[in-house]
Amino acid sequence: SGDDGIMDIPGAKDKIDPTTFEQILEMDDDEEERDFSKSIVYDFFTQAESTFEKMDANLESKDLKTLSELGHFLKGSSATLGLTKVQASCEKIQHYGHKKDESGTKDITEEEGLSKLKTTIEQAKQEFREVEKVLKTFYHDES
Amino acid sequence: MARLGSVQGSQASHIEAPLRLASPARPQNSGNLNHCNGYAATTTNINGSPNLQFFRYTPVCTLILDAALVVQQVSDSLLHHPISAVRSPDQILGLDLDSVFDTLLTAPALGLSARKALRIAQDTSRVHELKHVHIDGTAWSIRVVPISRNGSMLYYQIELMDITEEHQKQLEMEERLYTNETFRILVETVKDYAIFMLDPTGHIATWNAGAQRFKGYKREEIIGKHFSSFYSQEDKDNDKPGRELADALRDGRCEDEGWRYRKDGSSFWANVVITPVYRGDTLLGFSKVTRDLTERRSAEVQLIAAYEEASKLKSEFLANMSHEIRTPMHGMLSALTLLLDTKLNPDQLELAHVIEESGEILLQVINDILDYSKLASGCFSISNDIINITEIVQSIFRALEKTKPGIELLNEIDPKLPKAAEGDSLRYRQIVQNLMSNATKFTEQGSVRLRVTLQDQDAEYYTILTEVIDTGIGVPQEVSGSLFTPFMQFDNSATKRFKGTGLGLSICKSLAELMGGKIGFYANPAGQGSVFWFTARMKKVDQLKTMDELQQEIEALALRTSLSPLDDIRKAAVDRRVLLAEDNPINQKIMVKMLTSLGFTQIDLAQDGQEAVTIAKKEAPYDLILMDINMPIQDGVAATKDIRTAGIKTPIIAMTANALKGQAEAYMAKGMNGYVAKPVDRKLLVKVLLTWLNPTSPPD
Repeated sequence: SGDDGIMDIPGAKDKIDPTTFEQILEMDDDEEERDFSKSIVYDFFTQAESTFEKMDANLESKDLKTLSELGHFLKGSSATLGLTKVQASCEKIQHYGHKKDESGTKDITEEEGLSKLKTTIEQAKQEFREVEKVLKTFYHDES
Repeated sequence: MARLGSVQGSQASHIEAPLRLASPARPQNSGNLNHCNGYAATTTNINGSPNLQFFRYTPVCTLILDAALVVQQVSDSLLHHPISAVRSPDQILGLDLDSVFDTLLTAPALGLSARKALRIAQDTSRVHELKHVHIDGTAWSIRVVPISRNGSMLYYQIELMDITEEHQKQLEMEERLYTNETFRILVETVKDYAIFMLDPTGHIATWNAGAQRFKGYKREEIIGKHFSSFYSQEDKDNDKPGRELADALRDGRCEDEGWRYRKDGSSFWANVVITPVYRGDTLLGFSKVTRDLTERRSAEVQLIAAYEEASKLKSEFLANMSHEIRTPMHGMLSALTLLLDTKLNPDQLELAHVIEESGEILLQVINDILDYSKLASGCFSISNDIINITEIVQSIFRALEKTKPGIELLNEIDPKLPKAAEGDSLRYRQIVQNLMSNATKFTEQGSVRLRVTLQDQDAEYYTILTEVIDTGIGVPQEVSGSLFTPFMQFDNSATKRFKGTGLGLSICKSLAELMGGKIGFYANPAGQGSVFWFTARMKKVDQLKTMDELQQEIEALALRTSLSPLDDIRKAAVDRRVLLAEDNPINQKIMVKMLTSLGFTQIDLAQDGQEAVTIAKKEAPYDLILMDINMPIQDGVAATKDIRTAGIKTPIIAMTANALKGQAEAYMAKGMNGYVAKPVDRKLLVKVLLTWLNPTSPPD
């Protein structure tokens, strides 16, 4: 069945990895309803919202460690769905929270980390919104 | 007397010479003799003595002496003969014995013999004849006939006959007889060869010492018997003896090697030659020469056995040495590969690379030497697989492509090359790689081109021509003749720039020849460098059939690989219990869905490491644990440690986004059995699950 045309949706190309997403779609019993994959995707939406909220709170409290964990957490699910940009930003959040640079190799100061975290969290949110739109289109959700 | 009488009888009417008497005084003629033309009409003189006139006309050289040994008459034939020194009878008549020969004969030796003959005749009063052989090879017969009457000697008739011709003939005959005799003795006495004659029907006519020695029969036992008694019963049944005689007659000789039997029944290995013997057109019989080759034959057999033994030892030695040498080499190189995979500091890495390089060269040298030994001892064999030249060449080319930057590597493959032929891919590859490696070794700039063409084909074979054309330094004159000789190297100096054993090209030559081809080189006609070429003959195969078969096989394989793991895992999953430790609910959901689709019905969940340990300990043993590494409270590694400490042996599979090589090994070291990368790929998951879920053993 392939990716069922998701990659044809404008904006999909650099945000979603088709192979990974296809694997999720393959688990759908019904290619019309797509109950399973839809539920997964919408679960992700919820998860992402809640994670971003937590991130904002922890940014306030400058809890780098928790921010790193949150980044890792969201990274995991976005990776499973093939949402590449979100995944990448989450990985950066993970590294910055550990006071490392974006590649995770060089050390950075707490200030730098917090500063980077602030921008990257916003970036991640933005990226999420964009891919959310694509996914909603795919699931014929006009809202 | 009778003789004289007969002369008288026949010659009386022909006498013309004037009558003469032997006394110095001239004889007085009687009145009843007619002297007008000097004829003597009677054989008697007036005084009653015989008329010796007619002796002048005898063709036999004759001298007549009286009892007092005074010459009374001499024949003209003697006077005219070259041995006579005088021509006129007057010079001789009346001379006595002692002076006559000296005067008469040019050969004094003859005179001596004549005197001797005379003396004997005198003494014996009998006819005496003796032979005088002169030093110049002439031969004379001297006959002295004493003539007496009423008891008293009257005359001696001395005849001299030139018997040179007869003498020669006799000499020749004696010579022949002597030679024959010699040969007879030779044949008789030779002990190492049985030489004997058969009569035309094959019965034994002669026998020699050798025959007796070989066959055990004495002469008297065997003469007259048929020669087939020496043959085996089988040969006699097949009429081998008869056929040999017939062959000898037809071809002029018949040679055979076979078993012959002695008198005592024992046998020996003989080489026999039978030749027919003719006198003129008549077949006298056959000559048979038999040699005993039993010893030689047993020596032959021993030699062959010894050679085969040595050959076997050599091959066994080669095989053993091959194994003994290669095993530790491979061990060393494998360990080295693993070492290179571990964390090494720059110094260690460099040293390890040095070992690797040397090791590879050493392996190449050992392989070369072993190949060379095998080829030299003839133990080498070429396989007959179905191969595709084009593919082989392409794969070689790909492997070489990056080896030498700075020179261009080109590839020219004839589209007409057969897709399948019978050949040895490994050995073909070996030659091409060797030539290519040489070409790149000796070329600093320009190009190395590999060209393969279908040179020729007949009903059964293809002839493939492979050429390596380089623009390198070329082959200098002084080594061009010995390039393919073992151990010849271009540069044998101490500062050898070019590495190698010097065996490569000679091995290539042997391999090419084993493949029914040839090898050679010539200067690159473009000016710089060389062209190394070789041909190989490959048997044609029934192409269509093979391709179809292959195609079918491949398809069958493909089908099997794609279906079978899913079938296998579904079977294996029945009644299996899995514990999934994953903190992210979305990932959890997906994993559960995946596992369900693979046939798992009993899946338990843990949100973090601690929970995983608790559940693993509490519930009945699981067949498999899927453990996420990064979890809150307790991560996967710590959880695994605890589970293992609790003595739980269940296979634990790590699920990790850190799928770096080093990490995987680290997880293994911590007690995990395997890992899958995240995001989890279904196919890989199936593979791992199949590995760790033993379908045949019941769940414990």
